[in-house]
Amino acid sequence: MTTAETSREQKIAYPIHRAGRVFATKLASREAIVTCLLLLPAVLFLTGGFVFPLIKLFTLSLESEGGTLSAYREIIGSEVFRAVFVQTLILAVTVTVISVLLAYPAAYLLSRLKDGWLTLAIYCVLVPFWISVLVRTFSWMLLLERNGPVNSTLMWLGVTDQPLKLLFNDLAVHLGMIHVLLPYAVLPIYASLLKLDPRLLQASNGLGASGLQTFLRVTLPLTAAGVAAGATFVFLLSLGFYITPMLLGGFHNLTVAMLIDNFVNERLVWPLAAAASFILLFIILVILAVAARFLSIGQMLVTR
Amino acid sequence: MRERSYGAGFAQVLGALVLAFLVLPIFAVVPASFNRSSFIKIPPQALSTRWYEAFFSDPAWLAAILTSTKVALLATFISLVIGTLAALGLERVEARTKGLLTGLMLAPLIVPVIMTSIALYYVMLDIGLHGSVLGLALGHTLLCMPFVVLNVGISLARLDPSLPRAAAGLGAEPLYIFRTVTLPAIRPGLAAGGAFAFITSFDEVVISIFLSGVSAKTLPIQLWEQIRIEFTPVAAAASTVILIATVLLFLLVQFIRSRGAT
Amino acid sequence: MRDSAQGNPIFFNEVSKSFDTVQALLPTSLKVGPGEFLTLLGPSGSGKTTLLNIAAGYVSPDRGRVLLGNRDVTHLPPRHRNIGMVFQNYALFPHLNVFDNIAYGLKVRRIPEAEIRTRVRAVLAMVQLEGFEERRIQQLSGGQQQRVALARAMVIRPDLLLMDEPLSALDRQLRKHVQLEIRRIHNEHRRTTIYVTHDQEEALVMSDRIAVMSQGRIEQVGTPTELYREPKNVFVARFLGESNLLPVEIAERSGREISYRVEGESRIWSMQAHDGMPMRNDRALLLVRPEDLTPAPENEPGIEAGVEEAVYLGELTALKLELATGHSVWMRQMGLPPVREGEKMRIRWHPQNVRLLKDTGRAA
Repeated sequence: MTTAETSREQKIAYPIHRAGRVFATKLASREAIVTCLLLLPAVLFLTGGFVFPLIKLFTLSLESEGGTLSAYREIIGSEVFRAVFVQTLILAVTVTVISVLLAYPAAYLLSRLKDGWLTLAIYCVLVPFWISVLVRTFSWMLLLERNGPVNSTLMWLGVTDQPLKLLFNDLAVHLGMIHVLLPYAVLPIYASLLKLDPRLLQASNGLGASGLQTFLRVTLPLTAAGVAAGATFVFLLSLGFYITPMLLGGFHNLTVAMLIDNFVNERLVWPLAAAASFILLFIILVILAVAARFLSIGQMLVTR
Repeated sequence: MRERSYGAGFAQVLGALVLAFLVLPIFAVVPASFNRSSFIKIPPQALSTRWYEAFFSDPAWLAAILTSTKVALLATFISLVIGTLAALGLERVEARTKGLLTGLMLAPLIVPVIMTSIALYYVMLDIGLHGSVLGLALGHTLLCMPFVVLNVGISLARLDPSLPRAAAGLGAEPLYIFRTVTLPAIRPGLAAGGAFAFITSFDEVVISIFLSGVSAKTLPIQLWEQIRIEFTPVAAAASTVILIATVLLFLLVQFIRSRGAT
Repeated sequence: MRDSAQGNPIFFNEVSKSFDTVQALLPTSLKVGPGEFLTLLGPSGSGKTTLLNIAAGYVSPDRGRVLLGNRDVTHLPPRHRNIGMVFQNYALFPHLNVFDNIAYGLKVRRIPEAEIRTRVRAVLAMVQLEGFEERRIQQLSGGQQQRVALARAMVIRPDLLLMDEPLSALDRQLRKHVQLEIRRIHNEHRRTTIYVTHDQEEALVMSDRIAVMSQGRIEQVGTPTELYREPKNVFVARFLGESNLLPVEIAERSGREISYRVEGESRIWSMQAHDGMPMRNDRALLLVRPEDLTPAPENEPGIEAGVEEAVYLGELTALKLELATGHSVWMRQMGLPPVREGEKMRIRWHPQNVRLLKDTGRAA
């Protein structure tokens, strides 16, 4: 074939090729428009109903009488407000540690069960997700009351002569929050235990490791991601907790969420409420950024 | 050979106790609601259904149930429509964009609810949505929609991508493909996401505290006020009603899911 | 090469196992001598993995006893048995590097750090992975992972080495190479080894002895040559190598001499009697390996056959022949085909190279 022939062939082929390309581009752009249309309502809704209010709240935090950053300065500078932040962090850490310690055996039990028992046990973890936090907290109020069943059991057992003060204190807040947040720790640990290849445990046993050695050297390291995910979630949620400490705690059990509420509803100082909110959000985002390498939040939420 | 290990046995017993701790305390409201006396007491001294009669005959409680139902239905409807469209859209974008958009959709679950609440309160006061069913429903949708996006997203991820392609190859129009291939596949996700969206809105307290006002009190707000101010057994009766309705809805969803799985 | 056996013998005494309603292993007895390489060969569901897991201790037998050396280990958990196990998909710990994977069994035995280092280095040299200590498992190829798994099992100096289809995840080329590697390591170290596979070629290449299993029982135990040349039944004959099985009638049996007639043919053939031979009125099958069929020279007895297919395979030619009775047989010939498709030829076999088997009607 001569050069002339080749170039003629190319000339003929070219328009066909180009028509195909144009058609494909048209198709691709139509696809892109459809994709945008599908996503648009959600994005518009979240922008208007979520991002915009938060931006308004942010500008509000800067509109303090004492200058742009004075609201932030006031919160960080005040010993009382700082104490509330520290107290909230300590509460969150305690609740997280205890939740993870309790969640691990529960998740382990789930991973060993089969059929009907498994369904029952999983329902034990999932049902609390569905039940109103208010109802669950209310139940704890009834249980921990002065004349409630916990006190009468303790007296019947002879642990105490007269009813103990179980409500409106640290104990009640911790119990209530752990009860509400525990499922968030159980599910990711359970998921990581399910992913664990049972042959690795067999291999460890065959190589001479005891049950405890296998747990410490194989099971625990391979489920560490699940533990980290559960811990992060419990920690983040407990930082913003409001209802449970409000109902079960005493006057000194003040959390940041209750402080924000107090700024808005009692003292009517919106800039302080807004500034406190953004400091809390900042803490949460920092923790989330650290944890992001371990977990996929979306994955954790859907297990229910 | 399953070796008998005391450590493993102990862990399992502890696990069972934790599961009991998760479930049993929830039901403390049930016996309290059947107590005849005006003080809340467990176990009840004498049984009575008087607090249920009081609950179902009090116009304030009935109005609260009606408001909550309206709000929850509206929030669920908006969440299902917007959330399903978004889930379909997320399947079509590249991984990076998908990650960013998913982050936006889930953000309302990460930002403390109290913060969202005061921000919404502030904005809605200005535009007159405060104290309205629509305002509450829009606020709740922020918390409900993520569950629709996630559940539908999972159903979509399970759908064999060659099925819609095969349908297209057979000459089906996009809308027809959606109706005959995609929709049946995401039905369990829609059911689960919708039900959880409904219950999330129906039980929501914090946003409602700020957005209810006096005109649109939801059931949880009525309960919240009763618990904080009066603390009567009617609150226990109301809680029991909510509890039973929720458990029934939960079981219904599990049933639908188990059928969807097979 | 060290010739001394370094391992204990293992005896299975009438062990059996059921899972729910399925009898995975019928009562089975087997002895594996010290330093021996024994392969359990059979199709899936034949009970070979169950028997291996009973040896390891991962499965407890319903009945019977297992003796490892002088110890009764029937109900001893794996960790007290001092066994080395290579799993089908290796079961390497994904969170540990090569060194820590291999050192695992030594660390749980609380062996001093310095000794662990020397032993791991030695075993890495054995599997030719020097310098791989710090590699992550995910960075290794399938063949390398296989060798790490072998090293991890060998480093604890096991009384018994167990391998559960360890090469099934490798491609064919690599598999052949690793087979010879394992064989070499076994020849050097002479650990008592039980090896499970469903690949007959692999079993023939590697084993001192093979136990052919089917439907929860051992059909026959023997050296590769014994099993190939003297199968006890149709299942073993069909499972190992290629086989032609022709229905025959036994005409007469007198002392060491037996005469038979291939169905549909008139000629009577005779051969020496052997063990497990059918009685006179039994239905019988004549086993002739494809390489034992030869063209019959003129003027010598033979059977008429038509050439259906002639497949040239390079060094040899496979011929598919149809007998007068309609039976097909395969014949292998070195070099180019002596005849063409559609032609007729006469074939025969050497009386020493065939076996008479009971026709149990059981399919392979």
